[in-house]
Amino acid sequence: MEIHYRLEHPVRLQIDLVVRGFTVVLGESGVGKTSLLRALAGLIPARGQPFEGLRAEQRPVGYLPQHYALFPHLSAWQNVAFPLAHLKRERKARALEYLAQMGIADLAERFPRQLSGGQQQRVALARALAREPEILLLDEPTSALDVATRDEVFGGVIERLRALEIPTLVVSHDQWLAQRADWVGVLTKQGLVQQGSSEEVFTRPATLEVARLVGFRNLWQGRVLAVDGLWLQLDSVFGLLKALAYPGARPGDEVWLGIRPEEVFTAKGEDNRLLAEVSQLRSQGLRLRGQLKVGGASLEFLLPRYKREELDLSEGKRLEVYLEPRYLHLIPHGPKST
Amino acid sequence: MIESLLLTLRLAFWVSLTLLLLAAPLAWVLARYDFRGKRLLESILLLPLVLPPTVLGFYLLLLLGKNGPIADWTGFTLAFTFTGIWIGSVIFNTPLALNNYREAFRSIDPDLIATARTLGASRWRIAREIVLPLAAPGLLSGTLLVFSHVLGEFGVVLMIGGSLPGETQVLSIYIFQLTEALRIQEANQVALILVGLAVALLFTIRGLEARWKSTTALSTLSGSK
Repeated sequence: MEIHYRLEHPVRLQIDLVVRGFTVVLGESGVGKTSLLRALAGLIPARGQPFEGLRAEQRPVGYLPQHYALFPHLSAWQNVAFPLAHLKRERKARALEYLAQMGIADLAERFPRQLSGGQQQRVALARALAREPEILLLDEPTSALDVATRDEVFGGVIERLRALEIPTLVVSHDQWLAQRADWVGVLTKQGLVQQGSSEEVFTRPATLEVARLVGFRNLWQGRVLAVDGLWLQLDSVFGLLKALAYPGARPGDEVWLGIRPEEVFTAKGEDNRLLAEVSQLRSQGLRLRGQLKVGGASLEFLLPRYKREELDLSEGKRLEVYLEPRYLHLIPHGPKST
Repeated sequence: MIESLLLTLRLAFWVSLTLLLLAAPLAWVLARYDFRGKRLLESILLLPLVLPPTVLGFYLLLLLGKNGPIADWTGFTLAFTFTGIWIGSVIFNTPLALNNYREAFRSIDPDLIATARTLGASRWRIAREIVLPLAAPGLLSGTLLVFSHVLGEFGVVLMIGGSLPGETQVLSIYIFQLTEALRIQEANQVALILVGLAVALLFTIRGLEARWKSTTALSTLSGSK
């Protein structure tokens, strides 16, 4: 499904987005994510396709606000039966089918206040599905869930929605969610700056802002010195580095160099050898986060904890690091005219 | 005394019912919509709250009295009648009713209404199946508050209605006259009836409010557990 929408209020927003399967629009708060969903649901005025000219009551969408908006005075099945008013006698049976679809038929008689956050979410989803929507619109579906159980609770929901083959548009600032999406769009104050598969957006962010949003922590300026087929040579804060050439790379280009903390210790080889000193080391649950001092710059890294022994890491230790050229991400900005 | 008690209860009943039917829809509009002149309208509606009851009663007397504009127009003199004190009490209690009803409506999460629309419900169905059930305890406690307030009305009623037994002589005016006549024992008995009524009503209102908070709690952030 393709979405072309223009909003004036409460934020100015022009969006042209493809929704493929489970699609996540990633963005920080205040860029208009919720407004986009509300516009699609017909709750705030906007222009665009699909659903132009239809009132909220007439739009075939399943809208789920951030806190699910279950009707507190109705039981789970009565909530799900709300959009099934036209069915009269079969209402309850159909509502129970939708609850079963979300795996919670046994909670039918409970009231929302007797349900956990994850259960409430499933009831709300069942209710949205009962509307028989052409598209599901989910606002920050993981924000009210515990991070510890998010995988278990929402991972299952994603699989169920995929199995039902209903196009789903999710807006969120949660990278975890975006990594599990079939398609990802990135929304900033400038509008939708990138869309693509989740792998593409996470490994090849189009702008510095996208890079920050998808988890690049190490970002420096650099300049392209030479381009040679697949590879290029880069002048950076770490000295000369070899990296994959991006399309249209030319000597003299000013670029941002991005390295993911997870991808610092990946290679042993000849390319991009750096002399570094471990300046900080901290364990974070199952992972090890630290900083390397390389000349005047510091490089953040993240490792599984068992690597500590394997690499014999400790604060103050000096070591050699090889940066894998394929994992150095370059974002061109303002190519210098020659 | 029984006559005054019944009259007072009758007045309180009709005033409460009138305000429920008039002020509740108005409160809904004030709670949900913005429009030109809203602040002016609110100021006018809240005026009886700050005006001294005697001043309000005085002008209503001029309006409803023998040579007033209403009498000229319709031929009916409403001063010193039950209808007169009914109208006066409705106006006097409008701010109290509006404020309480507005709170009842405001406590409903707007997301519930928005979501109900996306689920295909008409405005009428949303009002009937979502808004009214959720606001009901709040509306009821507001109405009982108005009812108990009318039981103690004095200034406005005295100005418009005077003290005609069976027509306009409400309990508080009756107590005043008994006291003036130094019939302290009797005044005390009547006063105790009002105290008992007030306590019972407040107790009921508190209970309703507690129930109301527990049903609406989930529609806010804190209810997600």
